[in-house]
Amino acid sequence: MNTSWRFAWRNIWRHPRRTVLTILAIAFGAALLVFSIGFQLGQYDLMIKGSVSIYQGLIQVQKEGYLDEPKMRSSINNIQSLAQSLREKTQVTSIAARANGFALVSSNKRSYGTLIAGVEPKYEKMVSIIPDTIREGTYLSSDSAHEVIIGKSLASNMQIKLGDELTFMGSGRDGSIAATILPVTGIYESGSKELDRNLLQMPLKTFQETFAMGSHGHAIVFYHDDVKQDLVFKQQIKQALSSHKELVTLSWDQVQPGLKQMIELDYSSGWFMYVVLIAIITFSILNTFLMSVLERTREFGIMLALGYKPFNIGKLVMLEAFILTLFALSIGTLIGLLINLYFAAYGLTFDGMEEIAQMYNMPSTLYPQISFESTLIGPLVIFVFTLISALYPAMKIRKLQPVEAMRKI
Amino acid sequence: MKTLTAFILFSLSALPAFAAEPPVAIDLIKSAIDNYRGLNSYSEASMTIHRKEWQRVVEMKVWTQDLDKSLVRVTAPKKDKDAGTLLIGDDMWSYAPKINRIIKIPGSMSNQSWMGSDFSNNDIARADDIIDQYTHRIINTSTENNKKIYTIESVPHEDAPVVWGKEILRVNEDFVFLEHQFYDQDNQLVKTLIASEIKLIDGKYISLRQRMTKTDNKEEWTEFHTSTIKFNIEFSSNTFTLSNLRNPR
Repeated sequence: MNTSWRFAWRNIWRHPRRTVLTILAIAFGAALLVFSIGFQLGQYDLMIKGSVSIYQGLIQVQKEGYLDEPKMRSSINNIQSLAQSLREKTQVTSIAARANGFALVSSNKRSYGTLIAGVEPKYEKMVSIIPDTIREGTYLSSDSAHEVIIGKSLASNMQIKLGDELTFMGSGRDGSIAATILPVTGIYESGSKELDRNLLQMPLKTFQETFAMGSHGHAIVFYHDDVKQDLVFKQQIKQALSSHKELVTLSWDQVQPGLKQMIELDYSSGWFMYVVLIAIITFSILNTFLMSVLERTREFGIMLALGYKPFNIGKLVMLEAFILTLFALSIGTLIGLLINLYFAAYGLTFDGMEEIAQMYNMPSTLYPQISFESTLIGPLVIFVFTLISALYPAMKIRKLQPVEAMRKI
Repeated sequence: MKTLTAFILFSLSALPAFAAEPPVAIDLIKSAIDNYRGLNSYSEASMTIHRKEWQRVVEMKVWTQDLDKSLVRVTAPKKDKDAGTLLIGDDMWSYAPKINRIIKIPGSMSNQSWMGSDFSNNDIARADDIIDQYTHRIINTSTENNKKIYTIESVPHEDAPVVWGKEILRVNEDFVFLEHQFYDQDNQLVKTLIASEIKLIDGKYISLRQRMTKTDNKEEWTEFHTSTIKFNIEFSSNTFTLSNLRNPR
């Protein structure tokens, strides 16, 4: 075994220039993959975080069935005290209770049907960026204040300004007519067009009073900066809620499957590019191996004559490929990782990123994801592909006849 | 009483005409709409909204005039007393006594439910759309209890601002809508309105009980039950105005 390794090592360096070029090709490919995948995954993390931090949160607790059919009656009783108990029982501390509804909202000039959320102002600040994006006026002051805040686009569509009164008319939880008049105390601009055009917020208790909700609400929203911990938190919350059989704990991708699907689609279309790249690398390696086997026909003939088994020679060739690839991949991965570490510290900015970034409430500076997956998955795929490509030259050896082979130059 | 007699005579004279030759679908629908809305009417009704876990009954008074004006005033439950809806043509206003305001319901809300029921604002407001915006054809004629029943398929015009893919109506020879099915664009039945308790009142056959049921959830329905109805009443000229909507007499 030891001899094989030594043999292989020496064979690799018989043509130093060719070997170095091959190593460079593989290393370059590997570094490129580590860099690209790192950034791609990093971008997804930012997208998820950006998207869930606007409003929907990382995890939500709802009444079973509410997600598919958000009826006002599918509600959670004593929602504020339940939210409070979860703050005490779990490690996630950014927790807010909400109630959701739909009503016809009118200014003096216009009427629109819009979504309305009842929120706990004190806690809402921890789970959503909306309180921080108030452009005019102030955010809601307390749980029972008679105030409403409105998105900027909706405000301009309705031609209203700060201090104007809005009239709400809809159906309450008991089917009765829900109606109230509230002054606009703040105008927000979250950057999400959908919300800015469609969502009003009022204090939770005001909402409950208007829509005959009692102490009911519709969702408890959880947020945490580390989006990759979502499943851990979800488990904790589930445990804390084990006595509430009627409630379901939903992670961000269940609440908003579109984002997850878009990420998956983008990731697989990214892989289409990577596979092309890997195929090019693989063919160049195949070429190198094939050449080195063909020009060594005479040598292999002598080895066969000396009693070496074709299988062992094949193994030798595979071993050469293995060592070469591993060596090159280590260098490439290291370089890619170093590049990613650099950008992880200093960030990367593209021209024209701002607009796309804004769509997902992302910062316009990108940071790569540094993780086991982002660093190793690319090189690993190259490794498998190159070993498969080395099989072909190795198999060719089995067909060699010692006498004929020795006569070849 | 004079008008009543005139009306009976009118009805009697209208019927044999249809008996002689097969009726045209659109005339049937027009006559049926005229039949329940044609003259001024005042009625008292209750609306039951039924859900799996709860049920709500709203009592109301309804005034209608011509084909395009109506006023609905809630009388019970107490919480919603005096709330009202006024319809004039395609325009719709709601009044909430709690805040003493009238809100005009925009066209974009026409598919929202009316007072939490299974009727949409559109069902309430634009009943005569079916005359202007649809093409009709009789697809079946049958006889039940000695009365002819026509089944009419109504398909909206290509460019009609209508959410339904098609509607199927069953009208009997007394011009009473017996059944009204609403199909979506994929030809799936969404909801069905079934009329029952057909009574002869003031010379007209009128259905006093109408139930709208969602196809995918049989436990969700809304039933409209008319307890009193009077036709051909003179209303004061301000009956169908915003000020009357706001100030119930």
